[in-house]
Amino acid sequence: MRTMLSELGTSLSRNKSMTISLVVTMTVSLLLVALGLLIQSQADRTEQYFGDRLQLQVNLCTKNSPSSTCIGGEATDAQKAAVKKALDTNPEVKSFDVRTPADNYEQARELLGQTETGRKQLETLGPSAFPESYFVTLKDPQKFDGVVSQVSGMDGVGNVNSLRKLLGPLFEILEKMQYAAIGTALLLIVAAILQVSNTIRMTAYARRREIGIMRLVGASSWHIQLPFVLESMLAALISAALSALGLGLFMYFVVYGYLRDNLGQITTWVRWQESVVVMGITTVLALLLALVPTFIMTRKYLDV
Amino acid sequence: MIRFDKVTKTYPGQKRPALQGLDLEIEKGEFVFLVGASGSGKSTFLRLVLRETRPSTGRVYVAGKEINKLSSWKVPKLRRQVGTVFQDFRLLPNKTVTENVAFALQVIGKSRHEIDKLVPETLEMVDLQGKGHRMPDELSGGEQQRVAIARAFVNRPMILIADEPTGNLDPATSVGIMKLLDRINRTDTTVVMATHDSTIVDQMRKRVIELDDGHIVRDEARGIYGYQS
Repeated sequence: MRTMLSELGTSLSRNKSMTISLVVTMTVSLLLVALGLLIQSQADRTEQYFGDRLQLQVNLCTKNSPSSTCIGGEATDAQKAAVKKALDTNPEVKSFDVRTPADNYEQARELLGQTETGRKQLETLGPSAFPESYFVTLKDPQKFDGVVSQVSGMDGVGNVNSLRKLLGPLFEILEKMQYAAIGTALLLIVAAILQVSNTIRMTAYARRREIGIMRLVGASSWHIQLPFVLESMLAALISAALSALGLGLFMYFVVYGYLRDNLGQITTWVRWQESVVVMGITTVLALLLALVPTFIMTRKYLDV
Repeated sequence: MIRFDKVTKTYPGQKRPALQGLDLEIEKGEFVFLVGASGSGKSTFLRLVLRETRPSTGRVYVAGKEINKLSSWKVPKLRRQVGTVFQDFRLLPNKTVTENVAFALQVIGKSRHEIDKLVPETLEMVDLQGKGHRMPDELSGGEQQRVAIARAFVNRPMILIADEPTGNLDPATSVGIMKLLDRINRTDTTVVMATHDSTIVDQMRKRVIELDDGHIVRDEARGIYGYQS
C-alpha cells in the first residue's frame, strides 16, 4: 500500500497540469449537470405545488371583487350552488375540488411568506380577502374553452384562470434552462471522458519503464492499474467536492439570497434538501465519469 | 522446466513464421545458450517463455504450465517464476540500487520484512554490498547489469532469461557477469541466455541451441558458438 501511495504521489506530481485541467473540466460539467438537476427538481416542485392535474381555477366573488358578475359582493350560497351544479353537469369536467378562503389564505401564506414584502402584504390581508375557489380537472386538458365560457359569465364568479396558461411560460423557461444546462454538460462530459483517457495514455507512456518492469516481475493487473484508478478517483472526488461547493454557493446567493426574496410570489423555490440530493447524484456521476474510462483505458494499455 | 512441442509462431500480418515446428526441452537447472543471427527467432522464443505472446500452433510448457491455456490473470504468477535480464539493464533512474531491487518485490506484494531480508542478501550475492544507496547513473555498465540481475533473481525464480546481457559490456566485465549467471545456475536455477558473444559461449561450454530462420539447426550439450569442424 505504501508503494502504491508513493506511486500515486509521484504520478500526481508528474501530471500536475493534466490533473488540474481534468478537475476543472469535470467540475464545470458536474456543476452544469447539478444545475440541470436542480432546475428539474424546481419544475417538479412547482408542478406539485400548483397541482399537476389542475387545469382551471374558478374564483368566486369576494366583497371587493371588481368583476361585473360580482356586483352583489361576496358570492351567495345560491350562486355557489349554481356554479357547482354547472360544473357537475358539464361533460368536459372530470372532477373539481373546493378550496375555502381559509385554504387559499394558507396557500398564499406559504408562497408569500418566502419574502419580506410578501409577509408584510399578508399582515394587511386576512382570510376574508381570499375567495372560495373550485379547482377543476378537465377530461381533456386542452378543451377548457367550453367550461371557461360557461362559468365565467355566471353571477358570483369573480374570474376563471387557466393554470396551464399562467404557469406555461414558467415551465417553458425552466425546461429550456434545463435543456441548455444538460446539453452543455453532455458536451463537457464527453470532453472530461476524453481527458481522462488522454491523461491515462500520457501517464502510461510516462511510466512505461516502471510498468514494463512491473509486468515482467509478475505484478498483477490490479496492482499495475491501481495507481491509475486512485488518481482518477481522487480527481473525481475533488471535482465532485468543488461542484458541490459551487452548487452550495448558487443555493446560498441565488436561491436563498435572491430568488426566494425577490421572486417568491411565483412559486416555492428549491431548498437545501434538494440540493444535497443533487450533490449526491453528481458525486456518483463524477466517480462513474472517471472510473469507467479509467478501467477501459488501463485494460487497453496496461493489460499483462 | 521449458518444453516446446511443435511450436510455430507467425505474427499477424507476416507471411513467414518467426518460429516453425520447434521441438525442444530444457531441464531444471540447465544452462542454455540460444544463438543465431538477428531475426532467427531467439526473441520470439524468449517472448513465448515469458508468455508475452502465444504460439500460433503447438504447445509451450513453462514451469509445468501450458502457457496457451493460462488465463491472463494467472500470467503474473507464471512470470514470478521467470526472472528476466536485458541488454539495456532497464533500471529505474529515479530509484537507488536497493529501491530498484526492492521494487520487484514490492509490486508483487511481498512484506516489508521479506524485502528487508532478501534485498541485502541478493545485493551481496551480486557483489554490490555497500552500493545500495547509489543511483544507477553512478554505477558502471557492469554494476548496472548486476543490479538488473539482482532484481531478476531477488524473488528466487525457477528460470532466468537473459537477452544479450553482455551486449553493452566490455569483455572483462562480461566475464564477471557470466560468472554471476553461472553462480545463479548452480542454485538449480535454469538459465536461458540469448547471445551473439562467441567468446563467452566458447568459454562456458554449455548447451547451445542455434536457431536459423525459425528452425533449430543445432542443439549440442557442450557446444560452442559456431559449428565445430
